[in-house]
Amino acid sequence: MTDPQIALMMLGLFIIFVFLGFPIAFTLMAMGIGFGYYAYFDANRMWRAFDRLDETAGQWDQWSTWFEGFYNNRIFDLFVNQTFTVMSNEVLTAVPLFLFMGYIVERSNIVDRLFTTLNVASKNVPGSMGVAALITCALFATATGIVGAVVTLMGLLALPAMLKARYDPSFAAGIICAGGTLGILIPPSIMLIVYAAATNVSIVRLYAAALLPGLTLVGLYLVYIIGRSILQPSSAPRPTAEEVPDMPMGKLLWMIITSFVPLAFLIFAVLGSILFGLATPTEAASIGALGGIFLAFIYRAMTWQRMRESVYLTLRTTAMVCWLFVGSYTFSAVFSYLGGEQVISEFVQSMNLTPIQFLIMAQIIIFLLGWPLEWSEIIIIFVPIFLPLLAVFDIDPLFFGILVALNLQTSFLTPPMAMSAYYLKGIAPPELQLTQIFKGVMPFLFCVILSMVLMYVFPSIVFYLPDLFYGR
Amino acid sequence: MVSFIRFADNLSAWFGKSFAWLILLMSIGTGYEVFVRYVMNNPTAWALDVSFIMYGTLFMMGGAYTLSRGGHVRGDFIYRLLQPKTQGKIDIVLYLVFFFPGVTALIVSGWKYAVRSWQYGEVSVNSPAGVPIYQFKAVIVAAGILLFIQGIAQVCRCIIAIKHNYWIEADEDVFETEDLLMQEANKAEKDHIT
Amino acid sequence: QAPLVIKMQTSWNDANIWQDFARDYATRVEEMSGGRVKVDVLPAGAVVAAFQVLDAVNDGLIDAAHSVPVYWYGKNKAASLFGTGPVFGGSATTMLSWFYQGGGQALYNELTQDIMGLDVVGYMGFPMFAQPFGWFKQEVNTVADLQGFKYRTVGLAADLMAKLGMSVAQLPGGEIVPAMERGVIDAFEFNNPSSDKDFGAQDVAKNYYLSSYHQASESFEFLFSKAFLEDLDPDIQAILKYGVEAASTANTAKAMDRYSADLQFLQNDAGVTVRRTSKEILDAQLKAWDELIPELEADPFMKKCLDSQRDWVSRVSYYELMNAPDYGLAYEHYFPGKIKL
Ligand code: NA
Ligand code: NA
Repeated sequence: MTDPQIALMMLGLFIIFVFLGFPIAFTLMAMGIGFGYYAYFDANRMWRAFDRLDETAGQWDQWSTWFEGFYNNRIFDLFVNQTFTVMSNEVLTAVPLFLFMGYIVERSNIVDRLFTTLNVASKNVPGSMGVAALITCALFATATGIVGAVVTLMGLLALPAMLKARYDPSFAAGIICAGGTLGILIPPSIMLIVYAAATNVSIVRLYAAALLPGLTLVGLYLVYIIGRSILQPSSAPRPTAEEVPDMPMGKLLWMIITSFVPLAFLIFAVLGSILFGLATPTEAASIGALGGIFLAFIYRAMTWQRMRESVYLTLRTTAMVCWLFVGSYTFSAVFSYLGGEQVISEFVQSMNLTPIQFLIMAQIIIFLLGWPLEWSEIIIIFVPIFLPLLAVFDIDPLFFGILVALNLQTSFLTPPMAMSAYYLKGIAPPELQLTQIFKGVMPFLFCVILSMVLMYVFPSIVFYLPDLFYGR
Repeated sequence: MVSFIRFADNLSAWFGKSFAWLILLMSIGTGYEVFVRYVMNNPTAWALDVSFIMYGTLFMMGGAYTLSRGGHVRGDFIYRLLQPKTQGKIDIVLYLVFFFPGVTALIVSGWKYAVRSWQYGEVSVNSPAGVPIYQFKAVIVAAGILLFIQGIAQVCRCIIAIKHNYWIEADEDVFETEDLLMQEANKAEKDHIT
Repeated sequence: QAPLVIKMQTSWNDANIWQDFARDYATRVEEMSGGRVKVDVLPAGAVVAAFQVLDAVNDGLIDAAHSVPVYWYGKNKAASLFGTGPVFGGSATTMLSWFYQGGGQALYNELTQDIMGLDVVGYMGFPMFAQPFGWFKQEVNTVADLQGFKYRTVGLAADLMAKLGMSVAQLPGGEIVPAMERGVIDAFEFNNPSSDKDFGAQDVAKNYYLSSYHQASESFEFLFSKAFLEDLDPDIQAILKYGVEAASTANTAKAMDRYSADLQFLQNDAGVTVRRTSKEILDAQLKAWDELIPELEADPFMKKCLDSQRDWVSRVSYYELMNAPDYGLAYEHYFPGKIKL
C-alpha cells in the first residue's frame, strides 16, 4: 500500500470508528497517533539506545530501554506540537467569551419579556403567535452563538401558548425548532468562529457575510408562516382577547422599551463594534459578556448560582469544541503528511466536474453528514478536506462557508441526530410525537434549501456587506 | 473502585471549576484593553497574549472535568441504544487503545516540550511585551495528568457497567439550560400524574 | 529505486510568492541529484503551524523547513540578529556574506546548537530586498506625523517603531486588511510589493513608503534536522547545502522580476502613491536603534554577534560604498525624470 492509500484508509476507518460512540476528540487523536506511528516509524532512530545496549545489561534495563524506544516515535512530539497550536489559536479565543455571553443572556429572563411583547405587538398579523415566536428566536440568535437553550425556552413559553390557541401542533413545533436553530447561523455564531479557525477565512468577513443570508432565511420562514396561516387559517387561528389581551399603547411601548431596547443595545454593541471597526471579535465578545452581566443585573436575574452555572458551562462547552480541534489538528497533520489531501484532490479533479457540480456534490455530502453528526464534527473534521479543492474550482471559501452554515441548520433538524427536535420533545407535552415534530420541520428544511439556491443565484447577498465594510 | 471514581471526579471538577473562572478574568482583561485603546488611545502590548494564554489554559484544564461529566461529543446515535453493559465493553477497549496512548504522550512528550521552553525562558513573539509562555506550555503536562487520572476512573466506571449493567454518574452540579428545563418539565409532569 | 523524499515545510501559505521560492530550491535539488532526491514542499500548517517549524525540525517531525529566524526570536532574542537586527550600513547581501564569510555561521551554530541545544543545521539564502516602511492612509513626512499611530509589524521592529512614538499592534496576517479598514490599526508593513499586493494592501491604503531601516537585511533560513542530514551520503548532503546557494540566485532573479512588476501595477493600476521614506524618519529610526542596541548588548552573546557584524560592515561596506558608482545617476541619464530619490 502506498502512503496516500493508507491516508484514505485512515479516513475510512475514522468514519467507521465514530459510530462506536467513543468521544470523538479522543477517537481523532487515536487515529492521528496510530497512523502517525506508522508514518513516523523509524526503527533505527527509535531503538538506537536499545541496539547499543551492552550484552551484560540486566533484564529490566533491556525491557525499559525497549519501552523507551517504543515511545520514542516522533508522532508523540507532533501531537504535543499540534496541541499547543490549538492552545495559541487567536481566533478561537472568541469561543469561550461568546459562549459565556450566551449563557449569561439565556439566564436573564429576556426571552420571556421579548415573546410577551412581540405577541401583543404582532397581534393583527396572520399567524401572529408563530411570527412572534420566530422573531423572538431571530433576535435572540443575535445575542447567542449556540442552539439548545433557545429551543427549550421557547418550547416552554411559546409552544403551550400556541397549542392553547389551537395551532396545529406540528406547525407550532416546526416554528420553534427552526427558529431556535438560527443562533448558530446569525452572528455571533460559534459555528462561524470554528469555521474561521478551521479554514483561515477572516472571522470578521464571515460575520458580515452571514448577516444578510441569516435575515433572508428568517424572511423565508416568515413568508411560509404567514402564507400558511392565510391559506390554512385552521392551522393558526387568531388568538382570542383572552389569550392575548388588548393593551393600551403606552403600556405596550413601555414593554418594548424594557424588553427590546436593552437587548438591541447589547447586540448593537457587539455586532456593531465588530462590523464598524471598533473591536476584534474577541474584544467584542468580552464587551458582550460584560454587557450581558450588566443586563442580567438590571433585570434582577443575576444570582450567584446563575453566574457559577454560566462559568462552568462555558468551560465545558469550550473544552468540548477545543479538544475536538486538538484531535483533528493531529489527525489532519498526519493525513497530509501521508499525502491524503493530494490524492483526494487528484481524485476529485479526475471526475471532471464543473464548479457547480462540485458545489452541489459538496453540499449534499455535508447535508448527509449532518444526519448522524453534529456541526462541530463536520466543520472541524470534514470541511478542511474540501478546502484545498475550493481553489481548484475557483470557489471563494467565504461563500462556501456561508453555504455550509446554512446547510448545517439542517443538521439540527434531520434525524437520527436532530438535536433541536430532541430538545423540544424533552420539554413538550407527551402527546406531541417526534414524528409530528419532524413533519412540522419539513417545510422549514425546504426554506433552508431554497435559501441556499438563492445564495447561489444572487451571491451578492453574501458578498454585499463584507465588500461594503472591508473592500474587495 | 467507587471511591476512586469519586476522588477522580472531584479532583477534575476542582481543577476544572477553578480554572473556569478565568473566563471572568478574560472578559475583564479584554474589556480593559478595549477601554484603554478607544477611550485612552493607549493600547496594551500584552492583551492579545494574555487572552490566548487564558483561553488555552481554560480549555486544557477543563478537559478532564468535561470527560467526567460526559461532555465530550460522541457520535452516539447507535451507542445510546445499547445496554450499559455493552457500552462499557466498547468503552473499556477504546479507553485502553484510543485514550491512554495520546494522554500519556501529553505527559511524556509534553514534559520534553515544556522543559525545553522553560530552559529558553520562552516569550511570545506576538508582541514586544515579552509575555512568558513557558509556563503555558507546562499546562499541557498538567492537563495530561488530570486526564490520565480521570481516564482510570472512566475505566473503573466501565468495569462496573459491565458487571452491574448501570453507569455510575458523576455528581452533577450544573446543567445546560435545556437540560434543566427538561428535568423540571418531567418533574412537573410526574407531580401532575401522582 | 525510489527517490529519497525530504519533507520540507515552509512558514508561508500556498498563495505566497515565497512558496514559489521554496519550490525553486526543490527543483534545483531534484535536478542536481539526478532524481535521487525529491523535496516535498509543504505549506504552513500542513504538518505544524508556521511558527512551530524550528521545534518541528528539532523533533524530526519534518526533515527541513523554509522560514526566517525572527519567527523564533521568542525562544532567544539573539535570533533577530540573523536578519532583522540593527542596520550598520550593510545590505542583506552584505549580511548574508557575513554569515558565510564573516563568522556569522559559527555564531549561528553556537546559538542554535550550543546555547539552545537544538538538533538542527541552518543555512541562510536569498538576501531579501529591504522591507518597505509600509502602508499609510495619509502622507507621512515627519516623525510628528507618526505620533499615536497604531502600526502593525513583527519582531525587533516592534520595539523600534514603539520608540518612534507609534503604538504597535500585533495582528495575525489574515486580519491586517480588515483591521485597517475598520481603523483598528492606522498603518502596517508586511514585506515586499508582491506579497503586499497579493494581500490586498492597496485596497485599504494608498500611500506606500519604500526604504526603511527596520528590516533591511533579512534572508531565508533553510533548516535541516541534524540527525537526518548527517545520515545522508556526503554527495547528497553537499547537494542540499549548495542547493541553498543556487536557490539564492534564482530567488533574487525572480524577486527582481516579480517585485518590480507588482510595484508598477500598484503605481499604475491600483492608484497607489509610491514614495521614499523621508530622511527625517530614517534618521529617527537610526536613533531608535541607538537606544535599542545597548539594551540588546546587555546579553553577552548578542554583544559578541553585534561586534562581529560591526567589524564586518565597517570594513566590507566601506569597500562596497566607496566602490559603487552612483547607479541613480546612470539611471537618471538614460531614463530622465522617471525617478525621484
Ligand atoms: Na448567533
Ligand atoms: Na442531524
